[in-house]
Amino acid sequence: MAETILVVVEQREGKLNRVSLETLAAAQAMASTTGWQVEALVLGSGVGEVARQMADLQVAKVHQLESPQLATYTPDAFSCALRGFIAERTPRVVLMPHTYQVRDLAPKLATALGRALVSDVTGFRCEGERLIFSRQMFQGKYTADLALQGDPPYFVSLQAGAFRGDQVIAAATPAAVDVVPVEIPDGVIRTRPQAPFREARQAIDLTQAQVIVAAGRGVKEEKNLALVQKLAEALGGEVGASRPICDAGWLPMERQVGSSGQTVAPRLYIAVGISGAIQHLVGMKGARTIIAVNKDAEAPIFEVADYAVVGNLFEVVPALIDEINKAKASA
Amino acid sequence: MIVFRKPLAEINRPSMEADVVIVGGGPAGMACALRLAQLIDAHNNAHPDAPLSKENIYVLEKAREVGQHCLSGALLDPRSLRELLPAFEREAPLGPMVDRESVYFLGERRAFKLPITPPPLRDHGNYVVSVNRLVRWLGGKVEAAGITIFTGFAGSELLVEDGRVVGVSTEDKGIDRNNQPKDNFEPGQELRAKLVILAEGSRGSLAKQLIGRFQLDLDRNPQTYGAGVKELWELPAGRVPAGEVIYTLGWPLTTKEYCGSWIYGGADNIVSLGFVTGLDYPDPRLDPHRVLQEFKQHPLVRPLLEGGKLIRYGAKSLPYGGWWAVPPLAGDGWMLAGDSAGLLNSQRLKGIHLAIKSGMLAAETAFDAMRADDFSRAKIAWYQQRVEQSWIKQELWKVRNFHQGFAHGLWAGMLHAGFQQITGGRGLHARYAATAGHRRLKHLADLPADGGAERQLLGDFKGDGTITFDKLTDLYHSGTRHEEDQPAHLVIHDTNLCNTRCITEFGSPCQHFCPANVYEMVEAADLPGGKQIHLNASNCLHCKICDIMDPYELITWVPPEGGGGPNYDDM
Repeated sequence: MAETILVVVEQREGKLNRVSLETLAAAQAMASTTGWQVEALVLGSGVGEVARQMADLQVAKVHQLESPQLATYTPDAFSCALRGFIAERTPRVVLMPHTYQVRDLAPKLATALGRALVSDVTGFRCEGERLIFSRQMFQGKYTADLALQGDPPYFVSLQAGAFRGDQVIAAATPAAVDVVPVEIPDGVIRTRPQAPFREARQAIDLTQAQVIVAAGRGVKEEKNLALVQKLAEALGGEVGASRPICDAGWLPMERQVGSSGQTVAPRLYIAVGISGAIQHLVGMKGARTIIAVNKDAEAPIFEVADYAVVGNLFEVVPALIDEINKAKASA
Repeated sequence: MIVFRKPLAEINRPSMEADVVIVGGGPAGMACALRLAQLIDAHNNAHPDAPLSKENIYVLEKAREVGQHCLSGALLDPRSLRELLPAFEREAPLGPMVDRESVYFLGERRAFKLPITPPPLRDHGNYVVSVNRLVRWLGGKVEAAGITIFTGFAGSELLVEDGRVVGVSTEDKGIDRNNQPKDNFEPGQELRAKLVILAEGSRGSLAKQLIGRFQLDLDRNPQTYGAGVKELWELPAGRVPAGEVIYTLGWPLTTKEYCGSWIYGGADNIVSLGFVTGLDYPDPRLDPHRVLQEFKQHPLVRPLLEGGKLIRYGAKSLPYGGWWAVPPLAGDGWMLAGDSAGLLNSQRLKGIHLAIKSGMLAAETAFDAMRADDFSRAKIAWYQQRVEQSWIKQELWKVRNFHQGFAHGLWAGMLHAGFQQITGGRGLHARYAATAGHRRLKHLADLPADGGAERQLLGDFKGDGTITFDKLTDLYHSGTRHEEDQPAHLVIHDTNLCNTRCITEFGSPCQHFCPANVYEMVEAADLPGGKQIHLNASNCLHCKICDIMDPYELITWVPPEGGGGPNYDDM
């Protein structure tokens, strides 16, 4: 497995964490420049579905590590399983998404194997034989280039959003899935995870939404949010908001997009009645396509919008909903 | 309904004993801590058998990191820094030395350069500095000297027993916007100290409690203030050479307002520029942020900024009242230093050197008290003596009537200043009276509807996005952030007044004088005035302008949860 990039994919309760697709896309890009091959790894209990999803993407092989003791994440079990596998197979690079779970696991894993780890990486390039990774330092004031020393495997975690999950290449034919039963010896697991809980209010995670329709001051009254809700529903998306809407209590803070709310990068972001103060823009300008509806032609939102609709949202949005429904009906 | 921050009642607060607590980690607080450490070290070297401890001396700093809330122009008169650290030039983060000054009087399109730079504004020998960097460096030395700085902790309440200040209580952490404890609740700590030194900067919140409680302003002039709004720019090389200092008076304000701007050339093409508006202007619709934006469009200034990049934005108030507004500096268990004491030379536009010196004198007095283990009122009162016998008093005495002379406009002010120059500061009266700035605000009914001579400063301002900016865009560059789920720290004692009388009488000036868009009047169809006050508390820059300027004296600024506030890197 010498010249292999191993992507460790994250799942919870059998569902793939989509940020892993970004990691895979990065791995594929790395493979195309280095000529190495990409293999994916998922660990858990009964995670065949996730393995199959990965097999449909362009990877040389998928490894499915199975053990009942991997059903719920514990650092000890996951580290033990991965350690064994990686020590045996020695990939060149191990790529992971920089999730909370990876933040917990990766240092432990890398230290156990006595290998280098570079985390929260935002980019990489090849220089001859070497891979150079970039990461930010001092709260983003500097970007540092790092090369890893020592022997492979090298552990790398990638910042969420630094690579594009939608650029992952699908496979012509599914790859082979290799199911690897894992033994976790007694006494290894020292923690007993409790049932996961969510703070009551956290029912929405805007960062996972592919389509967001966001409301701003322009909607004028709380009851008009229904219109925005309808547009979101028609597109199968989530409702977001700029600060004044959440401050007024019309929507919970979890739906706020901006510097003091969520930073989102959906495929489609529709800003309805949002002026586009910089505090809001920094939360959404990473969206793939931005449509803005505002009656003020000078609104700063139009500077980042791909499609600018200068008009009264109370006319534009209902018309938009109609057309979408018509298109869906005839499709 | 807005819920305002209030210390939680009936909870057990952990208590800690201290010898000296310094509230505020700015130039005064840091100089005080460092000087105290130096004196104790020297003492311990000479008396190894009877050492004094530095372990019970604490500096409280509300910012998350030392220096983050420090903002100034600034030009440093190195006089006191040289006394504190004779070798400072070798290691202090100083900018270039000033080698060129010019003063302009601006009309709307024209600029008239004064043929000679008035002596108080001559800055040869002074350094262009970032007070943020200076304080960070001083903070490093304070910690190396063995004194603990608690960052992220604000001094929230003065502890007073039997007329004596016995300590300071820090703010409650982890309370939600309804003043209820959250999962991460930590009650404020009571620091019971033998001596509390307040060095909170301009319009300090504990200083305000102190002055009010003990009526320290009884026979003094009311303190008056200026509002400084600053931007830090990176300009094309050579536009404003390092060490160049430019001051302007006049446009965009009229002779009725006390105001002026500065442009300081720093190193590496980083230029500090800003506008100070005296907080005693008559028109409540005036917006100091907008004044700065208009100023940048003047034909003298605009060409300097073309092709440049805005790096940072901030604002702060400064005490202009002068010597007659300085309260008693020491009392039972307390001292006041730096801008909290109003020790700023409004004629020279400098206060950092005075802050440092006052911190040092406070330290010397505190050291005497520690050595004699005598923190009685009489012993602490020596601080007042020390200040009055030092060059602080000498310098401030000469300008004691300066700012008040401008009460009737620019020309009158210049005339008085001229008289004061030749009479050692006296001028035409021994002591010029002053009026608190917020009392000079006129009712809208008494002002021209369109603003008259200041009409170009009123109304919505969008900015062009390259040279001028709207307030929210500028605010973004202040880096200000706060824990969102906490009660509002701008305590308005009667929001009904805001929603009724103030709308008609003054037109809700809070929307205008706040440089951070904290105050907004939003539509409220169910209220008689049609509008209600809304707070964006997490935008706050901790400048205290609202506490100073609201016409009904309704607003009390209290520290929000520690760690929140602007991030004034390099300011």
